[in-house]
Amino acid sequence: MTYVFQFGAVWREFDQLLLGAWLTVRLSAMAMVLGLAVGILCAVGKTSSSRAVRGLIQGYVEAIRNTPFLVQLLLVYLGLPSLGLRLTPDQAALLAMVVNLGAYATEIVRAGIEAVPHGQLEAGRALGLKPWHIFRFIVLMPALRTISPALGSQFILIMLASSVVSVISAEELTAVADTIVARNFRSFEFYLTITAMYLGLSLVFQATFALIDRALFSRWSDRR
Amino acid sequence: MKGLVKPLWRTVFLVLGMVAAGRPALAQTVDEIIKRGKVIVGVNTTTPIFGLMGKDGEPEGYDPDVARLVGKYLGVPVEFVSVTGANRIPNLLSGRVDMVIALFGITPERALQVSFSIPYASEAATLVAPESRKVKTIDDLKGLRVGVPRGAMQDLILTPVAQSKSINLMRFDDEATGLQAMVSGQIDLVGTGLLVNRTLNRNDPGKNYEVKVVLRELHFGIGVRRGQSDLLQWLNTFIYAIKNNGELDAISRKWRELPLGDLPVF
Repeated sequence: MTYVFQFGAVWREFDQLLLGAWLTVRLSAMAMVLGLAVGILCAVGKTSSSRAVRGLIQGYVEAIRNTPFLVQLLLVYLGLPSLGLRLTPDQAALLAMVVNLGAYATEIVRAGIEAVPHGQLEAGRALGLKPWHIFRFIVLMPALRTISPALGSQFILIMLASSVVSVISAEELTAVADTIVARNFRSFEFYLTITAMYLGLSLVFQATFALIDRALFSRWSDRR
Repeated sequence: MKGLVKPLWRTVFLVLGMVAAGRPALAQTVDEIIKRGKVIVGVNTTTPIFGLMGKDGEPEGYDPDVARLVGKYLGVPVEFVSVTGANRIPNLLSGRVDMVIALFGITPERALQVSFSIPYASEAATLVAPESRKVKTIDDLKGLRVGVPRGAMQDLILTPVAQSKSINLMRFDDEATGLQAMVSGQIDLVGTGLLVNRTLNRNDPGKNYEVKVVLRELHFGIGVRRGQSDLLQWLNTFIYAIKNNGELDAISRKWRELPLGDLPVF
């Protein structure tokens, strides 16, 4: 087989690839923040005494974790308009990513909360801490520290999953590459390039997580 | 340096291609296809009339029927591979398919990468919208959301003018998603062909979808890898024959509900 690689074509369009990558970064970062918030809320909700609340959250988590992201995305973009909610492709992509990540984050955060020893809660109460303080300092922060590696890899997964939002015409990195390839047909050059770009984005995100980790949890680490 | 790097890339690519193809040998000639005992054809199953997935899970439509004729005259069974507008050429070049029969409009740019047979079908790149949408030419598209299949002819025609005419051009990975977005009201016009408005009106009655703008006449050829000249010559002969014996006309009447009409040759 003879195929002559022409990476010059990639350079000529590199500014467009960067624009696409920027949307990928924005979508992913917002989905991570909002998805974690959804996850924390739902994980706390799962400790509720109300069976209805617990059942509702469990239903959400199971429905999302057992269906493909692509189908969820198409439902948000093509299905919600029939309920009167019309989202732009970018908004629909973000919503689908938040809903998806939120379900996974719920289970991860729940595991972290359950890992907090009961004795510590009792110690907090014995010291007369307010419930909010007990939750924040004794439950949530140690829980987040425990689960931060699992959360980090889930975050990376949603960033990579964002590559399918091109089906609803959101112009993220993969969509931009597909569009250019449709014009100049240098498919292998562009797919190899965006593979490297996704890898780079993953590494940057992981480094960012490590920095946040250190900033948040350094004073929680065992200093004994 | 250059001399060192290029063979390395070729090796990487060859390995990737083999993994993707799942088979080490590409069928380059008619004899190789017959020897392998099947012909592998890429068809698009998201384009109503030209190609859809049938209820039995087999592709149906104009293109799959032409593919079945290819199999009939080669004397081997047809294996279908689903391709999209955007991945037609990669599928061909990586050897996943022997040929692509998937509304492959003939353009000189594409012909730099693949070889086209003489046309076996005609269509037009159009913009379709409900009757109530007042659009007559491209100039009326200002501020409107126009959904097109990524990389298809409608995309290629509108992309250069989208900015200057303030068209909100939205690219979907396949035609079906764009049509669904039209039905959901997510876009104002959809880039498609001459005949799809019939399907739209059947599935979303009451809106009277109609062709608003004909962007360009198109002719479809069967795409093969460049250098498959033996196969290309056979396909041209095949198309001449089925045009002459009425089999292609029958396919056209069945799916387009129109006679075949005159097709150019080259």
